[in-house]
Amino acid sequence: MPAGHGLRSRTRDLFARPFRKKGYIPLTTYLRIYKVGEYVDVKVNGAVHKGMPHKFYHGRTGRVWNVTKRAIGVEINKQVGNRIIRKRIHVRVEHVQPSRCAEEFRLRKVKNDQLKAEAKARGEVISTKRQPLGPKSGFMVEGTTIETVTPIPYDVVNDLKGGY
Amino acid sequence: MVTPTARRGPENSLQRKDREFIWEVAGDHLHGRRPLATTRIPTAKRRRPLFSHGHGLPPNGIVPHPGIKPNTHEGKPNYNGAPTPPPSPSQSVFVKTQKTRAYSKRFQVKFKRRRQGKTDYRARLRLTNQDKNKYNTPKYRFVVRFTNKDVTAQIVYATIAGDIVMAAAYSHELPRYGLEVGLTNYAAAYCTGLLLARRVLKFRDLDQEYEGNVEASGEDFSVEPSDERRPFRALLDVGLIRTTTGNRVFGALKGALDGGLDIPHSDKRFAGFKKDEKQLDAEVHRKYIYGGHVADYMKTLAEEEPEKYQSHFSEYIKKGIEAGGMEALYKKVHAAIRADPTLAKSTKEPPKTHKRYNLKKLTYEQRKASLVERLNALNSSAGADVDEDDDE
Repeated sequence: MPAGHGLRSRTRDLFARPFRKKGYIPLTTYLRIYKVGEYVDVKVNGAVHKGMPHKFYHGRTGRVWNVTKRAIGVEINKQVGNRIIRKRIHVRVEHVQPSRCAEEFRLRKVKNDQLKAEAKARGEVISTKRQPLGPKSGFMVEGTTIETVTPIPYDVVNDLKGGY
Repeated sequence: MVTPTARRGPENSLQRKDREFIWEVAGDHLHGRRPLATTRIPTAKRRRPLFSHGHGLPPNGIVPHPGIKPNTHEGKPNYNGAPTPPPSPSQSVFVKTQKTRAYSKRFQVKFKRRRQGKTDYRARLRLTNQDKNKYNTPKYRFVVRFTNKDVTAQIVYATIAGDIVMAAAYSHELPRYGLEVGLTNYAAAYCTGLLLARRVLKFRDLDQEYEGNVEASGEDFSVEPSDERRPFRALLDVGLIRTTTGNRVFGALKGALDGGLDIPHSDKRFAGFKKDEKQLDAEVHRKYIYGGHVADYMKTLAEEEPEKYQSHFSEYIKKGIEAGGMEALYKKVHAAIRADPTLAKSTKEPPKTHKRYNLKKLTYEQRKASLVERLNALNSSAGADVDEDDDE
């Protein structure tokens, strides 16, 4: 009999709960709130059978476009043939985690606002743009001694002492 | 004489909570038999069967207390499949345990509060799960718990950092309102629920709008939503008790309902519900709310067994509470609660902090700093020692 291609085919390990984390899932996943426009990671929790996304979406990150009573609507990119489609799926909150991909951006936004406010108070104009690392500046090498390395004449006896 | 082999682990491993099989062979005790089943383990950790015949001291040098009886697990298989060795005589305190290291390694502990037997996570999940499209709106739980001498009623909501108690009422506050005895009965639970409800409503400035049921009649009463502000809604959280008809938890529930909280409920579990007629007998319920059942018992005891009455209801007698005066007493308490439900600040001083006898645990920064200090000290004392390269 050939192998099937059902909805959950080939997910034996993918949807399995990790070692010693079986059973009830901690309540934090249920207490989190999600707002439209936030980024979330989709990570299937095999203990909850309802509202599971297809295995393709496991590990994908998308944006929230809808919030219902127990589930989140997530918009995820999927390559179909020669184009990328924005797929909209609904996923229960147990299979979703808040994504940290935008965290750095959010923190930088806050810091930049703060810097700009301070600069305005001082009356300066500053640029908060990120700059790539430039080439390293020149330096003198300090505190070194010069050791001249010369080859030693080949000594047959010593080199073969281990064995032939 | 059993001699300890050199190949044992350090002394502390013997006292570890998850005890391993520690087997030791003493050759003469085998009498030519093969040692019992041992799996092939690398030499460094090899453990061999122990036949402790009680000669001399056990390997770890602890002298057994003569009163200690060893664990007899006759006939029960061990976790590694080997049959149980014969039970050791009472002189040996060191008994073979049944939990192998492999078992302990794979064991998944339940949640801490489940291990303590305090939280029912199935119920908790369903009580705290809020609709996602209600975002940050808290879902309040009306928590009722009983101890041996106290009743606790709280309004709690859950956050990721932990549950937050918005308001709490204890039956040990009831002496302030005139009730000194019988602090864990149905009537006291009613008073505590009532106190909590009035307290919360006052806190939320809803107490003028939602008076609730001022005259407790025992009938099923639900708050009518008024025009301006909706009533305060909470869900009953019973914890781990068995929800039987007439349980005191439902007494507290009734108190909160009459106080003006909106708690979804049915009258099926109130005291006085007749299963045959499927109806709540309001008279019986009212009797319970005013301690009528206690009063009846007092009367019957006083007539038939005066000595038992004296011993059982000694506190009541001391305070001068009689069976006939119960209802009036509770009426007064209800009125007092409605008059002033605010929390009274405790006049007790904070407990003395004692001198610290053990070392305080250092923080990560402190440990790093002390390490840097020690290294600097070492480096400076080492002084002019030059590192010598190894000759390969």
